[in-house]
Amino acid sequence: MQQESAPQTQPQPTPPPYKDSFPVTHTQPTPAPKPPTPIKTPAERLHNALVSLPPLQFHKETIVIDPAHGGADNGSRIADDIVEKDVTLALAFRLRSLLTARGFNVVLTREDDKAANATPPFAPLTLDDRAGIANHERASACIFLHATSSGTGVHLYTSELTPAPGELPAAPWLTLQAPWVTQSQHLAGRIADALNRSRIPLVDGYASIRPVDSTACPSLVFELAPRTDDPDSINDESYQQAVAQATANALILWKDAAQPPPHLAPPEPEPNPAEANTP
Amino acid sequence: MSIRTSRIIFWIMVAAVVTMGIKLFAHREERRGRVERLADAGPLDAPYTDAEPITLLLANDSDGTLSAETRQIALPAETTARARALLDHLVTEYALPGSAHPLEPGAAVDEVFLVPLPVVGHAVDNSLATDAAGRIPTVPVASDNPNDLKPSAPGRELAIIDLRGSFVSQHPSGVEVETLTLLSMIGTLHANLPQIEQVRFLVDGQTRETLAGHADLLRTYPSRDTSSGSP
Repeated sequence: MQQESAPQTQPQPTPPPYKDSFPVTHTQPTPAPKPPTPIKTPAERLHNALVSLPPLQFHKETIVIDPAHGGADNGSRIADDIVEKDVTLALAFRLRSLLTARGFNVVLTREDDKAANATPPFAPLTLDDRAGIANHERASACIFLHATSSGTGVHLYTSELTPAPGELPAAPWLTLQAPWVTQSQHLAGRIADALNRSRIPLVDGYASIRPVDSTACPSLVFELAPRTDDPDSINDESYQQAVAQATANALILWKDAAQPPPHLAPPEPEPNPAEANTP
Repeated sequence: MSIRTSRIIFWIMVAAVVTMGIKLFAHREERRGRVERLADAGPLDAPYTDAEPITLLLANDSDGTLSAETRQIALPAETTARARALLDHLVTEYALPGSAHPLEPGAAVDEVFLVPLPVVGHAVDNSLATDAAGRIPTVPVASDNPNDLKPSAPGRELAIIDLRGSFVSQHPSGVEVETLTLLSMIGTLHANLPQIEQVRFLVDGQTRETLAGHADLLRTYPSRDTSSGSP
């Protein structure tokens, strides 16, 4: 005998606790037929575009670290026997150790010198591949590690894109970061504060560095420069450990502050004036 | 007539011939110069303005800043030559000893092209009839790429900076140093040629992914005030 199932109540839409200040209306799209409206103004269409959908999956305890370059791509030459790809990998290992010990799931885009896809045909890792790895993880932070001989301390950069109000289902690849820019800036601010407390020289700003603009997570470029004017000091173990410790401390606190942007419904298509004018 | 008198007359005649020869030669040169001046009245060098105050956005690697500094420089009057000269002066500053953003000396820019915005192509319009000569009408078509920067108003310009491969191959590698070079060029153009609204970069006439492994050269940059402290 088939038991009659109790009537299930539809879960009421609850606005997610977003902190964004833009006017987002958290309503469920209603399936009921709409009253005939001849034509909508651009302002009305924009308002409808900001109806939020259920938020996408977001893993607060996952952090993606991309040690830049690798394999045949050495990156910049920092000293006679120091190349960028080795420094970024060493710093990535330090960060992973510190974060894994605190219960984080740390994903590295490469774990040794070679930079290739983990699946056949094992093609070399492109910048877009690195963004793809980060995007699939839906992580709370994506850190793109670089190293240079110019300047001292750490250089932090976030995307130059103009912040967008939320994630659209089919956003352009080259501007995926736009809804996350505000979160990325908050993350950079926390890391900058931690580095300042550790008395590590810091330069921060905006830059157009691929593939940050194609990432859908709070992401930034983290460039390590030598501790002093001596380029060899970039490999100073105590210096690297201090940088990694300060960064890890900021990321641990960031876990509770990270918020995904609203997931927006696609904008309504432009009305066809010929159809709108027919009675 | 004595022999002495004959000699005197001879030498007087010799002196007169030499004097006339010199006078004729000088007169000929004068006439020749006058004819040459009349035949070649066009300018041989590009017209330059007098030295004028120019704003350069100078980068500093130690603190990652860009600061506006004024120099008195004579620049070509023609706009594209002016843009190229501005960038060459900028890179020359960076090649000086003690520069806060050291770059190798040498020419950096091969050419600067200024293109009116919006950039359009032309497509065949089949809805229009062909003309008497059988030519098919075309209509201007703008890019529908959502990633493209939209021009704020028609009449502004896109600057395409064609960098020399020698400059790019010698450029230091790093996020900060490459970004500062690009922002320094963009800010300098913005300060002196306000009609430029967007900037793109080529290297030896070809597109290139990055300047020296980091800063993006594939995107179109908005021309803006890049000095530190500006939004």
